[in-house]
Amino acid sequence: MTARPPGPVPGQMAARPLRPVLRRVLRPVLALTLALGLSSCASGQSAGDDPEVLRVLAGSEVKDLEPMLARSGVKVKISYTGTLDGAEQVAGGGADGRYDALWFSSNRYLSLIDGASARLSTQTKIMVSPVLLGLRTAKARELGWQDGKATWEQIAGAARQGRFTFGMANPASSNSGFSALVGVAAALSDAGEALDAGQVSAVTPKLKEFFSAQRLTAGSSGWLADAYARQGGVDGIVNYESVLLGMKDLTLVYPSDGVVTADYPLTLLASAPPHKRELYGKLAAWLRTPDVQREIMASTHRRPAVPEVRPGPEFGSAPLLELPFPNRRAAADRLITAYLDEARTPAHALFVLDTSGSMSGERIEALRQTLVMLTGADRSASGTFSRFRSRETVTMIPFSDRVGTPRTFTLPAGDPGPALEEIRGYAGGLGADGGTAIYDGLRAAYVQSLQGDPDHYTSIVLMTDGDNTDGASLEDFESLYRMLPESRRARTFVVLFGESDAAEMNKVAALTGGAVFDARDSSLAAAFKEIRGYQ
Amino acid sequence: MRRSIGIALALLLGAAVVVAVVLGNGAGGPTVVRGVIGSEKKPFFDDSRVRAAFEKHGLRVEVDTAGSRQIATEVDLDGYAFAFPSSLPAAEKIKKDRGVARVFSPFHSPMAVATFKPIADVLAGAGLVRDSGRGYQVLDIAKYLDLVAEGTRWDELPGNTAYPARKRVLLTTTDIRTSNSAAMYLAMTSYVANGEDVVTTAAQVPRAAGKLAPVFLDQGYSQSSTEAPFEDYLVMGSGKTPMVVAYEAQYLSRLFSRDGSITPEMRLLYPAPTVLSKHTLVPFTEQANEVGRLLTEDPELRALAARHGFRTADPSAFTDLVSRHGAPVARDLVDVVEPPTYDRLEQLIGTIERLYAGGAVPQAEGGS
Repeated sequence: MTARPPGPVPGQMAARPLRPVLRRVLRPVLALTLALGLSSCASGQSAGDDPEVLRVLAGSEVKDLEPMLARSGVKVKISYTGTLDGAEQVAGGGADGRYDALWFSSNRYLSLIDGASARLSTQTKIMVSPVLLGLRTAKARELGWQDGKATWEQIAGAARQGRFTFGMANPASSNSGFSALVGVAAALSDAGEALDAGQVSAVTPKLKEFFSAQRLTAGSSGWLADAYARQGGVDGIVNYESVLLGMKDLTLVYPSDGVVTADYPLTLLASAPPHKRELYGKLAAWLRTPDVQREIMASTHRRPAVPEVRPGPEFGSAPLLELPFPNRRAAADRLITAYLDEARTPAHALFVLDTSGSMSGERIEALRQTLVMLTGADRSASGTFSRFRSRETVTMIPFSDRVGTPRTFTLPAGDPGPALEEIRGYAGGLGADGGTAIYDGLRAAYVQSLQGDPDHYTSIVLMTDGDNTDGASLEDFESLYRMLPESRRARTFVVLFGESDAAEMNKVAALTGGAVFDARDSSLAAAFKEIRGYQ
Repeated sequence: MRRSIGIALALLLGAAVVVAVVLGNGAGGPTVVRGVIGSEKKPFFDDSRVRAAFEKHGLRVEVDTAGSRQIATEVDLDGYAFAFPSSLPAAEKIKKDRGVARVFSPFHSPMAVATFKPIADVLAGAGLVRDSGRGYQVLDIAKYLDLVAEGTRWDELPGNTAYPARKRVLLTTTDIRTSNSAAMYLAMTSYVANGEDVVTTAAQVPRAAGKLAPVFLDQGYSQSSTEAPFEDYLVMGSGKTPMVVAYEAQYLSRLFSRDGSITPEMRLLYPAPTVLSKHTLVPFTEQANEVGRLLTEDPELRALAARHGFRTADPSAFTDLVSRHGAPVARDLVDVVEPPTYDRLEQLIGTIERLYAGGAVPQAEGGS
């Protein structure tokens, strides 16, 4: 996820959120790294195509490989995007002519979309990593899983009994989350074959038990690992084996009834011209040379993809049973929907919205449209999955020089239609006038969050287009935040817009364990859509 | 309109190749000939010895891979000098569509099943695998189909302590909608499902396709090209791929190369019945014609093809290698059936494809 493909296309969303994903190597000083991320994103915007450069559309999961590629002898320009967004872009032909190759952790969801397979040419697997559960060693011992052996059935049982908590990336935004969801569902369904839509419905009650223990969500596997490493707060996380092996004090649980594995296929686009095909061939061959495979294994903890190089001892010797993956898009989408609407801990999303005078005109209109988009106006799969969902509570807190009346919308379990309609009406009525009391608005959000259901997964989005002009200061907010009970300290995800004070907003995100998304030079809608993965 | 553009492009391309040849020869470098091939032949074309052999004739062969059925139906062939699908029916279709006069079938390979000793033992216990008495093991397709029809899981097989997985007993194949190895597998299983007879009439199609659809659909997601699941077999072992449908050549190529990828635990089974896959090159340019001719006639390239596990017009090269490596190989295949014609096979695939799309439970009587 994160940085979107370069080359702005008229009429198309092209947000460049600051990268909330920081891999292990980049961990220290979140805010600083985020600020630096901006300039490196901006360099990828050239419209011209250099015949010597292989343009790759990739998932953030392969970011740690990028430095190595400099030694491949092939010039590579990588643009990062979310798994589902990327898949839709490729299937719809949006990648043709703009990129030469793809590099996601898996092509499986992509291949389920009608018309996608004809757009793909050669696929070359580069490395392998299963999605597993990593638990604090003490917790693993307490549950009797210190040898890393448990079935999903046992894991779901312990989750139901509240014996551990975990974090997992959102299946609609991240391949690791989606893989885990497929694995858990397949293992718990007792079906033996790939799940169809009917079997998904049958297994949903069991999924609900499992996900009752989920206390942390994320838009990407990288951010999830960082958040867990920085703050803990849960007993473990579901993530790629490669990520978990790089973390301290974790016991990896290898579910004996099966896993879903990422194989990172470097994939040539069928639209790529011959000279790009040669570059692709060179790069793919280089990545699969035994030396490079060994280096990938040693430096990133991913298993090799060629039989000549055997996996090292760190991966253990137990054979990994691979669970069948759905072969129909309807089943995959039904599974994600069941997670969002039925199985996951419902969300309480609070939106602190700048309605000051500087927002008038295009900006307030963009905000209105963004909120309308989140009520289901975006009909793409990623749009559908990022809209407000059944069982969710949404609170809108507008502010200018003072805080407006908070308004809470509760989406029922069944038909969310009427509530979505209300939100649409509310969005249409947003105006813009007066000063900018950012921290009054934010403090109101935290006060509101305390009144919400403690069993909901609560998060705050702060959208502002300028400096704080009225009311409380950042320091005032900080002292309020520190008075909150730790269990009720919601994360704040900040959207930079217009003339936002990036440095101060980074402090807010760092303080609350959130992240910053930049919509200053791009679309507010895309930034909000991405943040939905963190709610 | 589209067709005329295609022809114009083909002419332009032809002109470009002529120019390239002239320039290429002038500069002393080899002429690049780019083809689209079934993925299982990529290791052959990537082999430096194969590249050197072509260079002796002034040619540099570059390849992209795609499923053979994709090559015959989806891939835009205008950018290529040749197509090299893995079966004669797919090649015949391309030949007809593109008006090509001559095709080359330089090598062939029977369909096989790659597995592991503990799995083969479990299957032998269940009566699916037997010794041929001629140095190789045989997988009984009729008994396998019975097992699939019952929805049997690995942990339900009697005495199975070696692989007590809770997933269904299913051979891993590629995606039937794209790939030739899956189509060849369909060809052999349809023979059994059709009462030990090649599917020859349209009336036989719905029943056979209905019976065989679960063999493909119940696997879940399948990969589009043949080298991928075979590599999974080599790299990830029995956890992901306890038994995989492959070309005999894929297995033997690894065995002959002694690169260590075929471990002592691995086993090659011959399905009974099996089918032969005739890898067939369809040239669109004069240079590609030369590539086809060299593959068929050049002794060095023929010897290299044998090293890559293919059976060529020169059987001794293959049998010598088999003897030298003590490979458990069927030298003369007896239980070989003919695949259905291209159109009939397409109907079978099309029927299963509609089941993919609809997600419907296949009915024995068929709905089409």
